[in-house]
Amino acid sequence: MSREKVLAAPLDGDLGPFERPGRRLPGALGGRIDADPESVERGLAQLVLTIVELLRQLMERQALRRIDGGGLTEEQIERLGTTFMELDRRMEELRDQFGLEAEDLNLDLGPLGRLL
Amino acid sequence: MIELVAITDGTLAPEAPVRAVPFDGLAVLCAPAAEGEADAETLWRREALLEALMEQGALLPVRYGTVVADEAAAVEAVSEHRDAFARALARVRGAVELSVRAVGPADAAPAAARVHATLAVLARDAVRLGGDEQLNGAYLVERGAVDDFVAAVGRLQREHRGLSILCTGPWPPYSFTEAG
Repeated sequence: MSREKVLAAPLDGDLGPFERPGRRLPGALGGRIDADPESVERGLAQLVLTIVELLRQLMERQALRRIDGGGLTEEQIERLGTTFMELDRRMEELRDQFGLEAEDLNLDLGPLGRLL
Repeated sequence: MIELVAITDGTLAPEAPVRAVPFDGLAVLCAPAAEGEADAETLWRREALLEALMEQGALLPVRYGTVVADEAAAVEAVSEHRDAFARALARVRGAVELSVRAVGPADAAPAAARVHATLAVLARDAVRLGGDEQLNGAYLVERGAVDDFVAAVGRLQREHRGLSILCTGPWPPYSFTEAG
């Protein structure tokens, strides 16, 4: 804030409460990963798991599309289903291990919305 | 590329590199588009430009970063809203915007509402903007009434010790560019 624009200040003259830190465009990881050394491991796991989760969801969607398309045998569909259930279970285990919730595996892309 | 700076009533004569491009009795002030990233420095320079221009006449600041290819495109962009701009210009003529922000504990909301109500009476127009503060108000105040307004802010601050009140300005009428 430019002081010369101040016409009337609080009695104690403290403008601190009115300071607005420059707002930067939210980076893809803005606010999601803490650089604190103690939480950086968790943050890294969060990022990696987010990407794994993104790939898992994309694969699952692709598989559903192929099932809908009718080009797969009963046995192949059965196997896909088992695979995705297994993947889902493993993701849950990994999340638990790092103390992450399902909603933690998402990235706020600012104006683009959420990743997942 | 040129940047739209402000809408005026067409009598204002800016200095180069700002140009007044007339349209239908009004004018849109254009400047060469700033290169590079917007930083605080760029924004203060723009603020200084607007403040110098508003000494010459009524204007409506255009949102920062409104860039078009050329003057023809500038006219095309603003012509559609010509009548709304004319009304808004009439509303802000001879007035400036003052900002009043108040911070305080959660139970100070009624006090902040009273501060706003008191100040709104002294203003030609007033609006509460969003924000984290208890009050983030913009007041369209006639130039001759600015001192009285500021004195009123001082009185309100002494009456409402639970709030910290900050008044800044005078600003171009950023919050009063719609015809209302």
